[in-house]
Amino acid sequence: MNQFWDPINLVIVALAAGFLLPLVARIGKEVARSLFYLVILYQALLPLVWLGWLSDGAPPAEVFTAGIAPPFAINLLMGLHEAFFVASVNLIGLLGGWYLRERLLDSPVGMSLFVVLTMGVDGIVMTRDLFNLFIFIEISGIATYGLLALEDNGKSLAAGFKYIIATTLASSFFLVGVLVMYHLTGTLNLDQMYGAASSISGPVGIAAMTLVAAGLVIELKPYPANGWGLDVYETSNPGVAAMISVGVSAGALFALYKALPLLVPFHTALAAVGGATFLVSNLMGLQQNHARRLLGYSSIGQMGLVLFALIALGQLDGDPEKIAFIVAGLFLNHLLAKSGLFWLAGSVGRDKLKDWANLRDHPTLLLTFGFLLAALIGLPPFPGFWAKWELLMALAAGDMPFWIAVVLIGSLLEAVYLFRWFGHCLHGEEGTPVLREPVTTSLYPVYLCVVGLFAAGHWAADHLGLDATWTLLPVYIALALTLLDWLPGRIKAIVVLIIASVYAWHIAPGLEGLQGLFGLMLLGGGILLTIASFYREDHRVGYFPLLAMLLLSMGALLEADSGLQFFVAWEFITVASYLLVALGKDSKPHTLIYLIFSLGSAYLILGGLALAYGNTGSGGLADLSLVTNPMSAWVLGLLAAGFLVKTGALGLHVWLPGAYSEAPDDFSALLSAVVGKAAVFGLLLAALSLGLKGGANHWVMVALGWLGLLTALWGALMALFQEDMKRLLAYSSMGQVGYVVTAIATADHLGWTAAAYLAVNHLLFKGLLFLAVAGVILRTGTRLMYRTGGLIQNMPITFTAALIGIFAISGVPPMTGFGGKWLLLNALIEKGWYWQAGLAFFASAVAFLYLFRLIHTIFLGQRKREHKDLKEAPWALLIPQLVLIGMIVAFSAYPLWLIQPLADLMANFLPQTITWEGTVMKTHLGYWDGFMVINIVGALFLLPFLLLLYLSRFMHIQKVKQFNIVFAAERPETPETTHYAYGFYRFYERALGDLVKPRATAFWNGVSEWSHTLGGTLRGLYTGNGQTYALYVVMYLAVLYLSIRGTI
Amino acid sequence: MTISVATLALGTGLLLMLIGLWGLLAQRNLIRLILGFSLLDTGIHIVMVSIGYVTGGTAPIIDAAVDPAQAVHTVVDPIPSALVLTAIVIGLGITAVMLSFAIRIHDRKKTLSIEDCTESKG
Repeated sequence: MNQFWDPINLVIVALAAGFLLPLVARIGKEVARSLFYLVILYQALLPLVWLGWLSDGAPPAEVFTAGIAPPFAINLLMGLHEAFFVASVNLIGLLGGWYLRERLLDSPVGMSLFVVLTMGVDGIVMTRDLFNLFIFIEISGIATYGLLALEDNGKSLAAGFKYIIATTLASSFFLVGVLVMYHLTGTLNLDQMYGAASSISGPVGIAAMTLVAAGLVIELKPYPANGWGLDVYETSNPGVAAMISVGVSAGALFALYKALPLLVPFHTALAAVGGATFLVSNLMGLQQNHARRLLGYSSIGQMGLVLFALIALGQLDGDPEKIAFIVAGLFLNHLLAKSGLFWLAGSVGRDKLKDWANLRDHPTLLLTFGFLLAALIGLPPFPGFWAKWELLMALAAGDMPFWIAVVLIGSLLEAVYLFRWFGHCLHGEEGTPVLREPVTTSLYPVYLCVVGLFAAGHWAADHLGLDATWTLLPVYIALALTLLDWLPGRIKAIVVLIIASVYAWHIAPGLEGLQGLFGLMLLGGGILLTIASFYREDHRVGYFPLLAMLLLSMGALLEADSGLQFFVAWEFITVASYLLVALGKDSKPHTLIYLIFSLGSAYLILGGLALAYGNTGSGGLADLSLVTNPMSAWVLGLLAAGFLVKTGALGLHVWLPGAYSEAPDDFSALLSAVVGKAAVFGLLLAALSLGLKGGANHWVMVALGWLGLLTALWGALMALFQEDMKRLLAYSSMGQVGYVVTAIATADHLGWTAAAYLAVNHLLFKGLLFLAVAGVILRTGTRLMYRTGGLIQNMPITFTAALIGIFAISGVPPMTGFGGKWLLLNALIEKGWYWQAGLAFFASAVAFLYLFRLIHTIFLGQRKREHKDLKEAPWALLIPQLVLIGMIVAFSAYPLWLIQPLADLMANFLPQTITWEGTVMKTHLGYWDGFMVINIVGALFLLPFLLLLYLSRFMHIQKVKQFNIVFAAERPETPETTHYAYGFYRFYERALGDLVKPRATAFWNGVSEWSHTLGGTLRGLYTGNGQTYALYVVMYLAVLYLSIRGTI
Repeated sequence: MTISVATLALGTGLLLMLIGLWGLLAQRNLIRLILGFSLLDTGIHIVMVSIGYVTGGTAPIIDAAVDPAQAVHTVVDPIPSALVLTAIVIGLGITAVMLSFAIRIHDRKKTLSIEDCTESKG
């Protein structure tokens, strides 16, 4: 061991610098600043060097401060854990010193305090002596108090004073507790005290433990004794707040970690404190609109989670290496993300969340902000994601489903308020003053945090045995494309098409069976619909990187062998599609709800995967089927619920109309036709592994069947009453996928063939219809159907596309839709689900009504005068439509081209039920000859068509023109009410309107309001009065004591 | 019944701690709060010393006057006394910081009441 890297130097150098800095500043400020930089650089390098040595297998270093072994002198330990914590904290110290330099320039004392604060935390981590621990706690405390005074205004000083009261109370508890422990064990050395831990017992021992536990845990700002922490986060200098949030908390966490073997009776209580703090802080964060206070809530919550993980996993006797991975992952993730956010908040200089609008005028800042938020929430590829995954798996293996729920709900709440904040930045608001240009230089530490997060995430993925580069490829490709975002939109579209095609080509050989089918749908369909993006000439900043990420992650979803790979891909799809929807012009009110439901869906799936892992001990997707009853019903229920959110099942559909209709027009096609199928894939996968088991699983499937049909019916009913053409199609998507859900629920061969068939068909016709409508919107500039009309004359090809699409949806011959309904009804009747069959039949009749409205009001009827000169939709939109039309016609004429491979595919899982004779398909109930049907129907159509042609040619027919109509009783304010296409189905609405009242929306609004109110009420505890806070601290002691009284 | 010095000191220390705590929780004036903290701190110091005290014990100097084998019972434990010195210094430091905060708060806000320090809450 080199003298230069002796760990004791961390203390010596910092103390020396602490004294020297104010003196040297008298010589020259430049000298002081150089010294300051040298010292913080050294502080950061030393533990990094040790981290390198120790991870290479070097033995931990023990430092005897007085040259003699303990207990006669204090000793410090530099082991792997210590090195990791010290290195993390000191790195943030280095970056924070860099960030703060403008502020610290004029304040040599500030520099000195900063160095000493870092040293204090280092000492807390390294010391092996309890009293010495107290000293270091106080050193870092006093340094913090000094730094709090940097912000010299009444508000900050008041907050600082409250902070001092609370923390000195806590350290007083700790001191008394340590003394009593010394009295009982006769030593202050930690390692000797561990050996003598049994003598800390009896009333005095319990009291000592309570004092030590409370003293340490309060430093971590547990709920509700943490108002003083929030005040400081809100009012202190952001650089200082960052250091408190990550550095001081790291010290407190490590101190508690070291004391844990002495506090065995308190472990459960402390773990519960951590979990509850995580949940409640995030609940209270919902009502917060001050940026830095919000970060404070999040900090407190995150540290609660780390505390919970540390203790709960220790109790489960998990693999220590795994615990270290989880705790280090969560900790490092919070460290980098939160300090980055605090610094960013300081540079942006806006307190109210709403005032962060227009951050979008600074793309780099916006992107950085997005990465930090994503990391904080625990989205891949950041380290928090991998750690949370491992945490949940470990909790499942330890049979702690309650805590899984707590972690997931807390995470969701945190996502809600953080992404609401992001939404403000993304969309901006009318009249928000433009952000002042932030000082760009001081943002380098923030960028470094982002780089660190990516690097750590990559490493963590590798550590979990994944091929990190391949798994994270969608993100990396998106990042690379972001660098090319200055290119014209169409060139980027070509790049995306090339990348997606190469990727699809590369993974295609590995996909077979179900994955092969969905590979064709997701990647083939995705690439086809991407062609449509050529129709816009503008740059479309952000669109193409996200599109590439989306397409690639859909491929990754299919390639996944393990639950982890599947879930990573699922999260990528979620994030990419959320951001793509957010690019829509008026999408602001709908993006947050889309994200919340998407994440909710992801967390349900995660819960399901975790329970499965807990049951089988295997993370492989193929092993899902090994889950035993009755757990398998829970797994199936959670997975199905997660996927149903994404298919827009009735009650869970409230996000769907907004997202589908407000997304960019060409992306709506992709979203509905292709991305929605990813959930169908998941549902099939879950049904395949778990749906065929008996017991409660059967009833889950029955419920799924009903839910699918009710969704089909309500989707159709709600589509009926829309004025907006994209909204109509959105509700139609919801309803049509409902049939697929029902078909999957039958869990037999015929049903699954029907499900696959319906899914393929939905992709074809919904892609077609959304693209047709995109052309109409492009040309007319409106989405309201009554503002259009008679466009058949201008846009004949688009009309034909819409016509074919509508035929393909409706379950009448001769198009593909009939085959789907025929298979579905066959399956339902064979299953004995007669009521369901009736409902399916009725729902498809309703579907016909809204489809008629769509084509009638847009293309038929009278043309608006201003639409006289409109042109046909651009070729970029028409080409994919023509391809889709070709496929629909081909599959209509030769249904066996589609049905036979699907039936053969499903025959791998269930006994074949369909037989073939030439073009005739037979089931137990009947037969269908698609080729003959299309010929007959074609002939039937041809006859009246010829008749009409003859009549219009040779009879005297006068077209009704606009001026042939007398306008009367027009309402000047709402002229549309007299238009025939407005309220097209008003009469049905009068009869059925009650059925389609937005009950689900009202319910979810209620849930939201209730959570916000609850969060607000809980926040009432934070009165702002320092003495109230001190009282909470004292009461914490009492509660902690009472909580374990029963257990001893 | 005789009360040993150690018990007396322990009792006094605990009493002082309680008085200090009461001051911290019940007084409104910042200076009085700081006094409360000082009392609490002093109480802790007295408790610390009393823990190490051995009734009738002698100074912890191991020389001819002390039988090394019996030292544990006849000699006052020196460690708490040593610790107290450090604790006193730290307490002094904190008191000073608190007082400087109080002075600055008075400068900025023209008040010394903790009830006027509630700008941030919720």
